[in-house]
Amino acid sequence: MGHTLAEKILGARSGGAPVNAGDVVVARVDFAMVHDARAANALKAVATLGFDELPNAARTAFVLDHFSPPPSREAANVHADMREFCERTGAVIYDVGDGICHQVLPENGHFTAGDLVVGTDTHSTTYGAFNAYGTGHEGTDVAAILATGRTWFRVPETLRVELTGRLGPGVWAKDVTLAMLGRLGAEGANFKVIEYTGSAVAAMAIDDRMTLSNHAAELGAEAAILECDDKTVAWLAAHGAQAPRPVVADADARYADRFTIDATTLAPKVAHNHDIGDVVDVSALAGQPVHVGLIGTCTNGRLDDIRQAASMLKGRKIAKGVRLVVTPASRAIYLAAMREGLFEILTEAGASVDAAGCGTCVGITHKLMSADRERVISSANRNFKGRLGNPESEILIASSATVAASALTGRVTDPREFAFDIRSAA
Amino acid sequence: MTGNATTVAPIRATVHRLGDEVSTDIHCSAKYNMGKSVQWLAEHAFEQLQPGFAQRVRPGDVIVAGKDFGINSSREQAVHVLRAMGVSAVVAQSFGRQFYRNAINNGLPIAECDVSKIKDGDTIEVDVAAGRIAVPGSGFSAEVPKLPPAVLALIAAGGLLPFLKQHPDWALPTA
Ligand code: SF4
Repeated sequence: MGHTLAEKILGARSGGAPVNAGDVVVARVDFAMVHDARAANALKAVATLGFDELPNAARTAFVLDHFSPPPSREAANVHADMREFCERTGAVIYDVGDGICHQVLPENGHFTAGDLVVGTDTHSTTYGAFNAYGTGHEGTDVAAILATGRTWFRVPETLRVELTGRLGPGVWAKDVTLAMLGRLGAEGANFKVIEYTGSAVAAMAIDDRMTLSNHAAELGAEAAILECDDKTVAWLAAHGAQAPRPVVADADARYADRFTIDATTLAPKVAHNHDIGDVVDVSALAGQPVHVGLIGTCTNGRLDDIRQAASMLKGRKIAKGVRLVVTPASRAIYLAAMREGLFEILTEAGASVDAAGCGTCVGITHKLMSADRERVISSANRNFKGRLGNPESEILIASSATVAASALTGRVTDPREFAFDIRSAA
Repeated sequence: MTGNATTVAPIRATVHRLGDEVSTDIHCSAKYNMGKSVQWLAEHAFEQLQPGFAQRVRPGDVIVAGKDFGINSSREQAVHVLRAMGVSAVVAQSFGRQFYRNAINNGLPIAECDVSKIKDGDTIEVDVAAGRIAVPGSGFSAEVPKLPPAVLALIAAGGLLPFLKQHPDWALPTA
């Protein structure tokens, strides 16, 4: 019997031979990440452990992204503790404005294909876009990794999804994940690893592949691992990663389930009703008024997202009364977007640009409060009641293209109504 | 719970029943109750689902829940809150992936089992080492997958950090 990507990566990191779903293994972790919202818990666990040496510190990054810049004295104090810890132990630090953990880790070449990466955040599944096993654990695990380089895993079952055909113009990886959420429900792949394969994945640019792996967190996935191809290898090399060790699933691997989605027929999707698993085609909500648009977050704050928005907003103005905020996922993306002139286009159109980081993704920073009975359309990943701070405000989740189209008209709008194609630029 | 125990003792206690898809982030941690202490949370846990829930839990009692207990990002603190409430084990149809880890990493016994016949107020027997759940009063008894020896060792030690203090070399029992 063959093995899945997860069984092979966890096997290689825990003794060599592939392991089987259900096994419990202790695996060597290649890179670890702690962000500011979980740092207090992680640092407490490190202190409880009380080890003199933290041999894995140099392979752990601390990222100041959720409270960026810090909105409170408590958050600023956590940041100060993180800086002090990194200074003392040699851990890597990304400070305020450097960007979101899931963007800065790959951008700075901290891991490569075949690696095992653990972060204190559910969306650590993002690293799967590079054929790595990326998963989110809590502070206790990261303390163990800092001190011993290892932690334990219950090897998950795998769900294999083939995306046939090719996404049409105006349809993105975000729409694929929303289709998955509509089919399986929120947390519908709880504890499973998802392997996405097929011609539509092969055709995706890396930015879009990162959305695919990232947003699998809402499906409850432990990881979402893609195959390694020439695009992966080139991207990793361009960002200074170690030589990739591509992992391939066996043809006779055992899967919990497998199915096919025809990418060619997918329409842009929207999640509504404060449930990320309640997904409809954009046409079902078309015309509903929107008041706030958000483009950003670790799900859709990449250069291609900003390019999509700029290509649609160029020479136009967003609707009167609509607030559109664009938050680049990292400083590198911020710089690239600035150099491409995208921020000039967006600013002229009436959008505002926020410093790189988690920004308006979650209400903890109170950066962009919507009013009672207003409707927000966001390219983020979660829409439960009150996520942005006001439980009396509705949150729709959609692709950056759908958000941009809706900000232009002031109503939920199918992005395919605006002729654009940034794929050639990507 | 600490020391050099190598197995997890059977538990016999009263059941407090919860439904499917209980999010511990929402009902049992400070994620959406900013600034609240573990003690405050322990007094208010799950009250939006069942008013007075925490007050009914006596030290040593067991929570029995439906599918995906502890879904969403599930903070480690939820397990600390369950501990502060005196909960000795959680039995559920299935667990959110991160809650499962957090429970084991913090020494809380958990078991996955068909819970459809287990009712609020039942006296339950939970033996995670032997892989057996029973409600003697109703005659219900189920074999459940035994927790692997490695996981039992972590729970028996009181969690991952106490385990590593004793075994910095990760000398886990093998299956
Ligand atoms: S962008 Fe949002 S979902 Fe992503 S890591 Fe930041 S807060 Fe979490």
